[in-house]
Amino acid sequence: MRRFELAQPATVGEACAILAADPSARPIAGGTALLILIKLGLVRPGLLVSLRKLHPPAGITWTPAEGARIAAQCTLQEVVDSPIVREHYPILARACEVVANIRIRNAATIGGNLAHVDPQSDPPPALLALEARIEISGVTSTRTSPLADFLRGAYETDLRPGEIVTGILLPPPPAGSRSTYLKFTSRSSEDRPLASLATVVRVSEGVCQDVRIAVGAAAAVPKRMRGAEEKLRGRPLEQPLVAEVADLVAADIEPIEDLNGDQRYKRAVIRSLVLRALDPAESEGTPST
Amino acid sequence: MTGAVQYAVDLRMPGMLVARALRSHLPHARVLSIDTTRAREVPGAVILTRDDLAGTRSRFGPVFKDQPVVAIDKVRFVGDLVAVVAAEDLDSADEAISLIEVEYEALPAVFDPREALLPSAPILHDPADFVDGSGTADTIQPGVEGFEGFPDGNLCCSAHFESGDTAKGFAGADRIFEDTYSCDPIQHAHLEPHAALAYWEGPGSLVIHCSTQDPWVVRSELAYIFKVEPSAVRVIVPSVGGGYGGKLYPRIEPVVAALARKARRPVQWVLTREEVFMTLTRHGASVRLKTGVTRDGRLIARQVEVVYDGGAYAEISPRVVVQNAPVAAGPYRIPHVSVDCHAVYTNKPPAGAFRGFGVPQIVWAYESQMDDMAHALGVDPVELRRKNLYQEGDAYLTGERLDGVGVEQCLSAVAAAIPPIARSGVREGQPRQRLVRGRGLACSIKSTMTPSNSVASVRLDPDGSLQVLASGVEIGQGYTTILAQVAADALGVSLERVRVLKPDTDVTPFDHGTKSSRLTFTVGEAVRRATIDIRGQLLDMAADKLEVARDDLVIEHDQIRVRGTNVVLGIPDAFKARFGLPVGNLYGDAVVQTTGGLAHGTYRGKDSAFWMWSAAAVEVEVDTQTGKWRLVRIASAVDVGRAINPVQCHLQNEGAATMGIGAALMEGLVHDGGQPLNSSFVSYPVPSMEDVPQDFQSVLVEAPHPDGPYGAKGVGESGLLAVAPAIGNALADALPGVRLRNLPMRPADVFAALSGAATQPGEAPR
Amino acid sequence: MITITTQVNGVPRQLSVRPNQLLLEVLRDDLNLRGAVEGCGVGVCGSCTVLLDRKPISSCLMLAANVDGREITTIEGLGSGETLDPVQQAFLDHQAFQCGYCTPGMIMAVKGLLYRNPRATVDEIADYLSGNVCRCGTYLEVMRAARAVIAAQVETTG
Repeated sequence: MRRFELAQPATVGEACAILAADPSARPIAGGTALLILIKLGLVRPGLLVSLRKLHPPAGITWTPAEGARIAAQCTLQEVVDSPIVREHYPILARACEVVANIRIRNAATIGGNLAHVDPQSDPPPALLALEARIEISGVTSTRTSPLADFLRGAYETDLRPGEIVTGILLPPPPAGSRSTYLKFTSRSSEDRPLASLATVVRVSEGVCQDVRIAVGAAAAVPKRMRGAEEKLRGRPLEQPLVAEVADLVAADIEPIEDLNGDQRYKRAVIRSLVLRALDPAESEGTPST
Repeated sequence: MTGAVQYAVDLRMPGMLVARALRSHLPHARVLSIDTTRAREVPGAVILTRDDLAGTRSRFGPVFKDQPVVAIDKVRFVGDLVAVVAAEDLDSADEAISLIEVEYEALPAVFDPREALLPSAPILHDPADFVDGSGTADTIQPGVEGFEGFPDGNLCCSAHFESGDTAKGFAGADRIFEDTYSCDPIQHAHLEPHAALAYWEGPGSLVIHCSTQDPWVVRSELAYIFKVEPSAVRVIVPSVGGGYGGKLYPRIEPVVAALARKARRPVQWVLTREEVFMTLTRHGASVRLKTGVTRDGRLIARQVEVVYDGGAYAEISPRVVVQNAPVAAGPYRIPHVSVDCHAVYTNKPPAGAFRGFGVPQIVWAYESQMDDMAHALGVDPVELRRKNLYQEGDAYLTGERLDGVGVEQCLSAVAAAIPPIARSGVREGQPRQRLVRGRGLACSIKSTMTPSNSVASVRLDPDGSLQVLASGVEIGQGYTTILAQVAADALGVSLERVRVLKPDTDVTPFDHGTKSSRLTFTVGEAVRRATIDIRGQLLDMAADKLEVARDDLVIEHDQIRVRGTNVVLGIPDAFKARFGLPVGNLYGDAVVQTTGGLAHGTYRGKDSAFWMWSAAAVEVEVDTQTGKWRLVRIASAVDVGRAINPVQCHLQNEGAATMGIGAALMEGLVHDGGQPLNSSFVSYPVPSMEDVPQDFQSVLVEAPHPDGPYGAKGVGESGLLAVAPAIGNALADALPGVRLRNLPMRPADVFAALSGAATQPGEAPR
Repeated sequence: MITITTQVNGVPRQLSVRPNQLLLEVLRDDLNLRGAVEGCGVGVCGSCTVLLDRKPISSCLMLAANVDGREITTIEGLGSGETLDPVQQAFLDHQAFQCGYCTPGMIMAVKGLLYRNPRATVDEIADYLSGNVCRCGTYLEVMRAARAVIAAQVETTG
C-alpha cells in the first residue's frame, strides 16, 4: 500500500487541529472504506489521522425527551447490538446488520460510514427516515446538521476543513410507529444494495398520522420522498393508494444506471419495495413501538 | 486446518525480492517509449522491460507463441504487461512503478468477436512475430496439430467437425429450430492469486516454485523462452489455493523468471486480485444452433457455430475449438451433425481453460433449445431427452463405441429428485402472483483431452511405507487422497502407509496436467499399475523366503500371509530376506498413455478416452415484480464410473454446480471500451453460502469404464455443465414466454424479458 | 515506525509497525503467522479473517497501528498437531475444505460465531458465514461442521 504517515490524537480538538493544518490529511476510523480507496490509488493522502484513540470513547445514550446519541466511533455491530437502538430504532439496527459482512461491521464505524457517503450504503436511508442530525466537531466548536444537508452528493459531505463527525443524534421515534428497512440485492446475498427503502409510519384511528419514506442506494444520495409522504398523510393505508404512492416514489427518483440495471429497472425495484413495505397485505415490516 | 499448509504466497527465501507490475491502461496501443530513468533511482529496484528480453525467445504460449513476456511493440488489452519491478519490499516496488514513464500511440480496438472478423476491424497480431511454419512451435500439447494458416487476421483458430449430411437431415425434418445463445466471459476467482517464486542457480539453471496446475508445461515453456534444456528448469509446486483451469498454462512464470534472471536474486510475484481478473477468463461465446426434429421428437440434424471470444492472446483456445467441435451437438444420437468452432482475438484479457473447457457455453445453448423444442412439440422435456440420449455401447458420431454411458441415469435421478411444479390447470387469465416457481433440468456430455500421458513411480521402503511420485497437482479435488487409496488398495497396505509427493519436475515423473478431469483415470491408473508391479516384486521375495508359490500369498494388514494359514511375513522381513538387512527399495513404474485422435477429413476415430455425463435439475422462485430469482433446491447428478472416494466425488459435484450457479446468476465480466468495470470482489461477487440452497442433492451415478481404475472416470467438471441451462429452463417454466438467451441471467435481464413477454399480468403467450 | 502493544494468540507482544502496514502484513511478514492469507484485499472474501478481541475482522483492511491494546487470535492460536480445536476437528470430520485456502479464515469465522451466538440456527449460521467465500464450493460441508460444533456445545453446556 502507498506510504503515508499516521497521527493518533487523543482528543477531538487535537484531531481537528491536525486536519485543519493539512488539507490533504484524511481522518481514518475503522478504515474499511478508506483503505480500499488508498489501495486502488483513488485517494493518495500523505497523512492519516486515526480517530480510534479519541476520548471520550464510543457509546450510545438515550433520554426519552432528547432521544439517542450514538458516538461516531461506534462500530456498526455495536449499533446492531445496542439495546437502545434495537428498542427505539429497530430499522437502524436492521440497516447496520445488512452492511457487508460481520468482519466489516466489527471494524467500520457509524461515523465513518456517514462521512464516506458511499451511495450504496444501508445506514443513511434508515437514518434519514429517523430524522437524524449529525454532530460535527471542529477545532473549537461543535455544530449539528440535519442528515439531509450533511449528505451533499456521492462521497461528498458538508464537512469543512478541520471538522469531523462525532455523533449521530436521533429524536425519539413517533409513539406507536411501525418501521421497515428493506435492502434489495440483485446478485449475491453479499452484494451491496441496488436499492433500499426505509419507512416509518404511524397509523392511528385508521389513517396515517406520520409517514416518512427514504430511498437509498439507487441515486447518488439517499432521499426523503416528501411528495409521497404528503399523499399518504391523513389517509388510510390501503390499496389503490399504496400502489399510487409506490408509483410516485419510483417516479421521484433519478436512479444511477450501472451494471445492475437501468433506470427503468431500478424504478421497478423501488416500486416493489414500497409495495412490500406499505402494502397492508404484506407483512414484512419490522414492528416498532 | 491449522494454517500450516504452504502455498506459493507463503514462500520466503533469504535475499528474496518482491514484484509489482505496470500494466497498460489502453486496450490497444503501440508502445513508443518506456523511460525508467526515475524509477531506477528507487533503492534496490530492478526493472524489467522489453529491453531486457535479449537472449530469450521473448514470446510464449501453449500453442501459438503469441504472448510477449512483457509488451514489445504493442499492448493489446487493458492490463497487458508493460514493465515489472522487483524490489526489497512492495512499497518500494510500487514507488518505482509509479515513476516509469510510458508513451503510447493509441490504436483502434475491437471487443466483439464477430466485429473483430469484419474487414474493417483493427488487427491485433502479425503472425510473422511468432509463426514459424507449423504455428505450434515446441508445444507439448496434444491434439492441436493442423493449425497451418492460422491465425488469419483476428481469426485465431477454427475447427470443423461433421458426421452424416446435414442438408439431407434438415430436408427430412418436420420442424427446424434456430436460435443464438451467448455467455459473458467470467473469471475463475481462485482465492489464491497467481503466485510464483523463481531463482537461477547459474546462468542456465532455473528453479521456480509456482501455483500451477501443470508443472511440466511450465518447464517446457520456460526452457523454450530462455533457450535452455528442459531439464535445466526445475518446477516445484507447493499447495495450490484453487485453480479451476486458471493456473493451467504459464501466466506469470515467464516474467518472474526473467525478473529473477535480471536481478540475480530470488523474486516472488503475487498478483493482486484486480490483476487476477486481467490474467485469464472463461471464454465469452456466442452459439448459433439449428436443429431439425421429427414430429415425434427425434433429433435428426444439428448445425452448430460457436464463436469464442479468445481475448488478446491464443492461450489454449486452439485446443478449446478442437476438443469441443466433436461434442457440440450434445449427448444425443443425431445422425446428421455439422459443427464449426472459432476463437477470435479481441482487445480483452486472454481467455483460456476454465472448468468445463468451453463446453458449458455450448450446453447452455443446446439444453435451452431442447426445452423450447419440447414445449413447441408438446412433449415432456424429460421424455424428449430420453428419446434421444446415447445409451451404453452406442456408436458415437466418430464411430467409436461409447462405454460407460450414465447420462440417462443422471437425468432420471435429477428428474425424480426435483419433480415438476404441480399446477392447477390453466395459468391464463389468472392474476400473476408476486412469487412464482418453476422447475427445469438439463444434461450434458464432455470429452477428456485425448491422447494424454501420465507416468507414476511408486517406491516401497523396507518399513512398509509407500511413496507415490507423480506430477498431478492437488488443487482441492482430493487427488492426493485418491492416489493414496489406489496405492494402498493395490498393495494391500493401510492408507496411513502411503505418502503422495508434491510435484517437482526434478523428482516426480511426467504428467500432462491437472485438467480435463483426467487425473483419476490416468494418474490413478498409472499408480495402480506401478503398485501392482511392486506387489509382484514383494511377493516374489516373500515366496522365496517362505518357500511357497507366489499365488499362495496375500498382502493384508501391512503383512504378507500364506493364504489359509497363520504364517505371516512382515514387509521388513521380506526386505531382510532379500538384502540381508532391512534396506533397499522396491520400485514400480507405469506409463498410461491414452490414445486417440480423429482422422483428417472423415472425423472418424477415437475422440475421448472416456466421456463425462451429467444432469442437473433445479426449482427456482422468481419475484415477478423485480425479476429477482433464487434457487429453492438443486439436484446435480454426475456419472463417476466408480466412486473411489464418494466424499470427494460429492465435493467435486457440489463445488462445480456452485460455480454453475455463479455463472447463471451473478458472474459476468463487463467492460466499457476495453476498460474493465468489475475487477474486484465488490463488483464481481461469487456465490456465498446463502446463494447455495441447503436443499442440495448430489447424486453419483456409476456407469463403469473398462479402462479406468476400478471403472472410475473423471468428475472434476461434470457438475458444472448442466446447471445454468437447468436454471434457464426453470425460469422459462415459471414465467411463460420468458426465454433468456444470455448468461448471466441477472434479475434486471429477467425483468426486461418479463416486461417484453407478458404485456398484461397473467397473459401466457406460449 | 509506531510501537504497539498487543496480545497475539495469548502472547503479549510489543511490535514496531509502519504507519501504512496492515495487520495481515504484520502477521505474515513479521510474526511468521501465515495461516491468514490475502484473497481479495477488499474485505469481501474472508481468507484473511482473524479475531480482534474475539470478533472476526478482515486483517487486510485493518491498520496494524489500530490493534494497539487489543487481542489478536489467528488460526495458529487454535489447536495444532494432535490437539485440535473442536472447530478444526469438525472441519476435518466433515471434510469441510477442498483447496484449503479459505479454511483458516472460515474456521476463525466459525469461532467468532460461537463466541457471539453459541446456539445459532441454520439460517443464522448461513447469514454469519456468508461473508466468507469458498470458491471450491464446500458450503454444505462447512455448514455441517458448524452445526456439529454447535450441537456438541449445546449438549455439553445444557
